[in-house]
Formats: sequence, C-alpha cells, structure tokens
Amino acid sequence: MTFEIPDDRRYAESHEWAKKTDAEGVVRIGITDFAQDELGDIVFAELPEVGDELSEGDEFGVIESIKAVSDIYSPVTGTVEDVNGEIIDQPELINDDPHESGWLVAVETESGIDHLLTASEYEEHI
Amino acid sequence: MQQHRQAKWNDTASEGHEPLLSEKDTTRYEPTDTHLPDELTREGVELPSLSEPELVRHYTRLSQMNYGIDSGPYPLGSCTMKYNPKFTEDLAALPSATVHPDRPSKSAQGTLQIYYELQDYLGRIGGMDAVTLQPPAGAAGELTGILIAKAFHEYNGEADPRDEIIVPSSAHGTNFASAAMAGYDIVELPADDDGRVDLDVLSAAVGDSTAALMLTNPNTLGLFERDIEDIAEIVHDAGGLLYYDGANLNALLGRARPGDMGFDIMHYNVHKTFATPHGGGGPGAGPIGVRDGLAKFLPSPQVGEEGEEYTLFDPEESIGKVHGSMGNWLVLLKTHAYISRLGDTGLTDTSAKAVLNANYLASQVNLDVPFEPFHHEFVASAAKKDAADFAKKMLDYGVHPPTTKWPEIVDEALMTEPTEAESRKTLDQLAAAFNSVDDEGEDVISEAPNATAAKRIDQTKAAREPVLSWQQISD
Amino acid sequence: MQDSLEIDDSQATRDRSNDRGSPFAPHDEEDVRLMLDAVGATDVEELFDIPDSVRFDGEFGIEASSEQAVMQRLHRVLGTNDDVTEFLGRGHYSHYVPSVVDHLSLRSEFITSYTQYQPEVSQGFLQVLFEFQSLVSELTGMDVANCSMYDAATALGEAATLADRVREADGSVVLVPDYLRSERRDVLENYTDGSDLSIRELPTEGGMVRPETLRSYLDDDVLLVYVENPTSEGVIEEHLTEIGSIVNEESSLLCVGSDLVALSLLQNPGQFGADIVVGNAGVLGLPNVYGMSIGIFACRDDFLRQIPGRLVGASRDSAGDRTYTLTLQTREQHIRRERATSNICSNQAWVALRTAIHATYLGPDGLTELADRCTRLPARVAAELDEINGVSAPVNDAYHFREFTVAVERDASEVVSDLVGEGFAVHERDDQTLQVCVTETNEHRIDDFIESFREVME
Repeated sequence: MTFEIPDDRRYAESHEWAKKTDAEGVVRIGITDFAQDELGDIVFAELPEVGDELSEGDEFGVIESIKAVSDIYSPVTGTVEDVNGEIIDQPELINDDPHESGWLVAVETESGIDHLLTASEYEEHI
Repeated sequence: MQQHRQAKWNDTASEGHEPLLSEKDTTRYEPTDTHLPDELTREGVELPSLSEPELVRHYTRLSQMNYGIDSGPYPLGSCTMKYNPKFTEDLAALPSATVHPDRPSKSAQGTLQIYYELQDYLGRIGGMDAVTLQPPAGAAGELTGILIAKAFHEYNGEADPRDEIIVPSSAHGTNFASAAMAGYDIVELPADDDGRVDLDVLSAAVGDSTAALMLTNPNTLGLFERDIEDIAEIVHDAGGLLYYDGANLNALLGRARPGDMGFDIMHYNVHKTFATPHGGGGPGAGPIGVRDGLAKFLPSPQVGEEGEEYTLFDPEESIGKVHGSMGNWLVLLKTHAYISRLGDTGLTDTSAKAVLNANYLASQVNLDVPFEPFHHEFVASAAKKDAADFAKKMLDYGVHPPTTKWPEIVDEALMTEPTEAESRKTLDQLAAAFNSVDDEGEDVISEAPNATAAKRIDQTKAAREPVLSWQQISD
Repeated sequence: MQDSLEIDDSQATRDRSNDRGSPFAPHDEEDVRLMLDAVGATDVEELFDIPDSVRFDGEFGIEASSEQAVMQRLHRVLGTNDDVTEFLGRGHYSHYVPSVVDHLSLRSEFITSYTQYQPEVSQGFLQVLFEFQSLVSELTGMDVANCSMYDAATALGEAATLADRVREADGSVVLVPDYLRSERRDVLENYTDGSDLSIRELPTEGGMVRPETLRSYLDDDVLLVYVENPTSEGVIEEHLTEIGSIVNEESSLLCVGSDLVALSLLQNPGQFGADIVVGNAGVLGLPNVYGMSIGIFACRDDFLRQIPGRLVGASRDSAGDRTYTLTLQTREQHIRRERATSNICSNQAWVALRTAIHATYLGPDGLTELADRCTRLPARVAAELDEINGVSAPVNDAYHFREFTVAVERDASEVVSDLVGEGFAVHERDDQTLQVCVTETNEHRIDDFIESFREVME
C-alpha cells in the first residue's frame, strides 16, 4: 500500500505533518495519510482552543476512530492561532483529505519546521 | 449447511425489524387532581403504553433476534459463556428471597446464612482467608481490591511512595481503568516472547513506588504463569501486593488456588466461573478474597457468625462501601446454588472439561495458535484475514464468534473459549464453522453476515452521528 | 447455626448426573478418550501446565448435591427469613412487579446472552436497551441516558467523577445534603478516592435544602451540588427551581438523585436546571432484593463523550435497515484503559429489560397514578400514626413520597424490635425517630400496622 506524502511540508515521527502558510510564522498541522489509514474511520477529534500554548513533542489533542483512541503530538512549539472547526462536524475530512481540508490546527511558532523530517525521510520512517 | 427456517410474524407498522415501543404507541399523560400542588409536579410525561398481549409480542419478537447460550455455542474468549442451570432461577424467584436490605439482621437470617456460607465457599475455592460479596461486578471487585491495597499501604504509612500499579499489557482493560480510578499511575508490563511475564522486566519495574501487580492466571493467552512463585517473591520483596484477576479461574478450579500461588487479593467473576447468567450485560457479581492480614480492610458490612446467629459487622479498618447495600443478592444466591450443586467433584471436573474442550477444539481448527500450552482458551490467528470479518462470517453458521483482535500480541486474534458445557459433537461442528470460514476469501467474509436479523452494521455512522434515544430519531 | 454445611440427601431422589463430575459437562467416557486421542494426551491432567509446587491437592470440603437436595436446602434456609411485612424504604422500594416481567425477562435468548459485542445477532437486546435509554431520557428530562449503572450509589459516584472531567468550575468540592444515606456517601467517597475531589455536607432544615443555606455554602470551591427528590426521608423538595438557578449562576453543576416512579410526577429535573440525573430505576422491575437494583445515569448532551458505561445507538445495516449497536465505545475501559470514563464493564442490563417492560406495562397514566398514590399513602398513614399517644408524624412539615419519619416517646430500638414481634419491619433512625415507608405492596396491611403500632406504644 502506498501513501500520499506531499513534499511541500515536513513530518514528525509520530505521524503529524506541519506546513508553512502564507502568514509569517504560522504553520498548519495535521495527521498523515498513513496515520489516518492506521486509525480507520475517524469519528471524533478533540482539539485545543485558540490561544493555547503547545510544546514540541507534547500531546495537544485526541483523535478517535471506532476502535482506537490516539493522542496527537505537536511537531512545533507555539500558540494555537486557528482550529479547523469543520472537522468537529465532519471528522471524515481527516480520512478523506488528511493533508488539506482535514488539517487540525494552525500554530504561530518561532521554531520553524526545518528540523522535522522531509518527505523522503518520513517515507523511510514508515 | 442445513438450516431450519420458520417464518416469523413481523409487525410492519414502521421500519426496522420490530418497531420501537414509541412507534407502537406514545401517549402524553398530564395528571389532574394530584395530591401535590402544581408547582411540585411536572406537566406530564410522554411514554409508550402497550396492552399485555402487545407487550408480550414485542419482547418475544425481540428475543427472537438475540443470541444466547441456550441458542448455541458462545465461545467468546475471556467471557466463559457456559450453560446457566435453570433451577437457580427458581430459587431467585422465591418470595422468601425478597428481602429489604435494612431489615434487622435477626429478621433476615436466611439471607445472611447464604452470604456467610458463600463467603466461606469462595474462600475455600480461591485459597483466601476472607471474602466480601459486595462488589456488584468484576470491575467493581477490581476497584475494591485496589482500594484495599491502598488502605493497606496507608495503614503501614507507605501510601506516599507507593503510587504505581503494574499491569501486563495483555491484561483486561478494566485492570488499567480500576487502578486509575483509585488514583494510581499505571506501569505497563510487556510480555516476553513466550507470552508470559518476563521476570527481568518485572524486577526492573518494581520498587518503592509499587503498590501492586495485577495479574490474570492463566493469562489472556490461556497460558499459566509458571513463574508465579518467583513473580510473587519479586513483588512482595519490593513491598507490593499481588492481585489476582479471576476472569480465568474456570481453568484452575480444584487444581490450583490463587491463595496458594502467593496472591494477596483476588476477585471472582461469578458469571464466568459459577455460571450465573450474564443477562445481556449484567448483573454480575465480583466478590473479593483476601489473605488474612487484609481482612480488616474489607468493605462493610461483612457477615459473621455469633453463636447461633448470623450478624453484620464492620471490619476495623474497612474501606467503607462500594455498593449502596450488599451487592447483587440474587446473583450471589445463584452462585451459592451452583457451587452447592457441583461440590468438589463437579468443580474439579469443570476445569478438566473446560481445558479438554479448548485443546480439542484447537486441534480440530485449521488456524495457527501461536502460544501454547493453553488451558481453557486459545488465541488463534486469522492470519491474512481480518479477524473481525472472520467473526462476522461465523455468524452465518449460527454460532457466536470468539473475541476478536485481542490480545494484540496475536496477529488478527480469535480468542476462543468453548467452556466445559459443549459436547464433542458441538465442538466438531464449531470447528467445521471455523474451517469453512477460513476457506472463504476476504471478499466473501467482508460482506458477512447474511443470515442474521441485521446485516453488517455501520459502526462509523453510529459514532459520527450519535442517535441514543427514540426522541433523537429524525429519519 | 441453624443448619450445617452437610446436606441431607436422603429425602431427595438420587441424581446420577453428579457421578460424571460436573452435571453440566456433556462428555461421556468415550468422548473424553476420543478427545484426548485427538490432542495427543493420555490423561486430562497432562493438559494442565501447572508447576507441582502450586498444585492444589486438597479438597474444598463442599459436597456435590442433586438439584432436588440443593433446592430443598436453600428453600429451607431462605425460609428462616422472618415473614414480616416491610414498611421499609430509604432508597430501596417495593412496587408490585407484574408477572409478565418475569416471563418475558426470563426468555433465555435474553438472560443467557452476553454484552452485545456482535450486534448483528443481538438486535433484540440492543433495541431493549435503546428503549430503556429513551424511557430514562423522557423521565429525567435529560438529553442522553446510558443503559445502566450498578445502583443509585455508584451512579452518584460516577456523576462526581464526570463533573471532575468536564470541569465547568475550578473547585473540587462535592456538596451533598445531610440527608444523604451514609451508605451512598461512603460509595461516593470511594469513587472519588483517586481524584482531588472532597465531599462537604450541606445542612438542611425540615428535611429539605434551603436556598439561602445553599447560597452560603456555594463558593468557587464547589464543583457539584447533589440533591435528592424525594429525599431519603421521603421529603419532596420544594425549592428546586431556585436551587437550579442558584447552582447554575455559580457555574457549579447540579446533580439530582431520584427514581423512575417519582420522576413521572415530581418536577422534571431537565426543567429546573439539572445537569446530571442519577438514581434508582429498579423501583420498576425488581422487588426489594436486598438492595440489588439498577442505577440511572442521564445528563446533558454536552457531556456525551464523558458519560460512563455503555451506550446504545441507532444506525443502519448494509441493507439500509435501521439497526442498533453499542456506540461511542472509545470512552470505555476496553479501548481507553486507564483514561476511560469509568472502569465499568458488566452493568445491570437484564434489570434494564425488566424496568422497561414494567414501565411500558404501566404506561404514562399508570406510572403517574402510581406516583400520585405514593404521595397520598404516606400522608394518610402519618396522620393515623399521629393520633397515637406518644407518636408524632410526620416529623418534617412537608409533602412526602412513599415514606416519612416518625418521632416516638419511647426508645426507638425497642419500638422497632416490638414491631418485628408483631410482624412489621420499620427503620430505626435515632433514639426517638423511626422511618416508615408505604406503597401499594403493603397498603393492605396499613390498618394492622397502625393497630400494632398503637399496642407497641402502650
């Protein structure tokens, strides 16, 4: 089975992706195609609130499928700037389109994302 | 496959296999002329109301869409679904069993005698010095046992450092949850390559912060923890207590006792080991046995004997109560009756036949069983198939499938426990069902079941759009 | 001791099923031989991988018996329970359970089934539990109800831990009225033992919570306020609307304890601001069986993902038909383990079946009329007891549900004991206070009870 691993972003070993946005210092975070496939049908996502502080490597939310519960870990340190409200009502977006409309949060960070895995390094990892 | 078919009367008034009560009748009733003033009453209630004949048809139809042990084999691993003797129901229905929990003891001597004797029976069976019957289910028993461990450490002034409970990764989910409810941190213990506790890993895990180790023996793979005496020594030397999860006691009846293995606290699952009916999810009962030094922490009250009389007393350092009164009395009464019926010979034969049946069934099933020698249950691997699909296809053979996808140490696990109550011929037919499903392709089994009241149910829809009452049904 | 452990089997017919070992294992000798051959063993003992050092060679000392002998003996033992008429309540109540409840609930497809892990062959019980949740939801006025807790006491414990998880306030105090039964409070303490929650007692006056007292006890520390209606002393709370608004103003949560009969008539908790409703559903479906019961747990929709225990939901099957299944299971211990909303696994599902049958048998009119009777009977009995010299009833100047307290100018324990002698059981509350409970099941004995009470007081 092959998974989509777009090379316009960076990855964490815990299967989150981080992608720079047009806004200065703001990155979007989501889970990878591989992660959504492992979880199966996602039915619920518990996300932080705007203004919450995240630390790299710390859990910041929970994704539930029918039979499993997974913590999601922040790939960067920063402040939550936006939360994807769509996925509260439509958690299936995370399954259907994990890299675009299924994003989870946007975080304002000073650390950048260059320290994370590249697409090819992540492909190696999984 | 030969199938017996008989048409059933279906009420087609609305969709579904049987209309909801609310679809059959809903009446709003607003009382007038009540004894209470209006401000202390509600405006009314809207509820179904069925005549007795209609009520009987409704529930009879529903029962026909439900699988029980009396319908056929139910080899649900770790659940010990064995035959429930009918005579125990007659005892539970006796008017003399209908007793209010606040009766003076003198006026409820019969009930107290049964409690007293059952405390004694269970103590003998588990090798324990004292027993409480109060916990209303196995998980409640676990919480009670862990609270007793906590009270013990507090009594010894050691509560502070001892804030961890060690649980093997293959343990029942309730072990983790019960320990957490009592405020403990969980230390998860991975199994060794043989599927058992790794003594080196255990030695490294225990220490000044260990309150207890919770262990199932035989474990969830059906394997006996052969090193149990060493395990007990390691935990005790570290100052911790050893807790026995009684889910698999059926395998050991009359052949080994937790108390003799070094366990300090144990629970009994009476619907598993002692054949009380599970009733579609409960009531169960989860009595707790403890060794001598822990009896003073048991919940209150305990049933004792003073001269000619059975009495209630509070253990001196009791943890208090874990149920509003004395637990699930009718379930305990059935337990007493079952144990009385079987006695030593019957109980000892139970484990023999349970273990023989599991071994025989495994020998007739063409699936790989990676961990041996198992006892009352085995965990087969569906290998390249999805175990959940495998189970769904088994439903088409008129049997209840095994527990699926657990424990995770076995790939696509089918955890199978036939119990002592199945005959050789039934096991042959059950094995044939396993083997037939094994011969099917994933494309076929992923479409199953087809011969059941409901076809494959959409779990995702149920969780994404929760509809939890008829009030919430919109379509 | 009234009876020895030895069983007198001489009167019973001989039961040959015991000779084979377990009477519930179908194997004959040939089966065992063939099966051993198949697994490559010569003796069953070889299949046990148990070290000799922990083998049990002894006996339990429990003699096997025929079914008849067990029945006769346990009949005899249970027969030593006094044949008294109970005027007992305090959270455990007796209502007449129609015969149809036994007949339907004992259908073996129901009672011999397990938890509905395979919904395709469990549609019957799942629909029963879905209907139970719906009934509880209607009666409590709450958005969602689970399909049972063990009893009212453990349901209260679960309510406290839910409040801890949803945390609308910073505090950690659970405020409970002083009329809360000590048994329930004890369970609450054990359920909150692993959390930072602490229990604080709220004084009441005249048997009910006074809004002004509550206001003075409500501070930032209070996370959850618990009240009962009716109370464990049978008092019907009169200030619930005010209590609801006071608690909601303070962003604490309000938990109401009640039972399904009372809820059909008394103020709707959903209307006066309750966030959680717990209590006893066993008032329908079970007689007084030594406190075995079934707990209600219902709450606001916002707390859906924090609810303890099992939930049944409606869905569709692959044929497009409406079906039912256990749902939102990621809350539960078998998936979420130490982070589960509760450790509960087995609950009281079969009692839920009985409760639903009983409720539907009564219907809304029958249920409400039963509740109305539960308000008239205590008023009548209290008035008659009050006529007796040295007796004052009810102690609390309030409306009552099923029961009330009675002041006696005689040692209460002696009165209780004398009444047992007359064939009646009542509660002893303190030196000079009793509690009396009356429903349709002991109504026919009221006159005799009053007469005996009079004699005992003379």
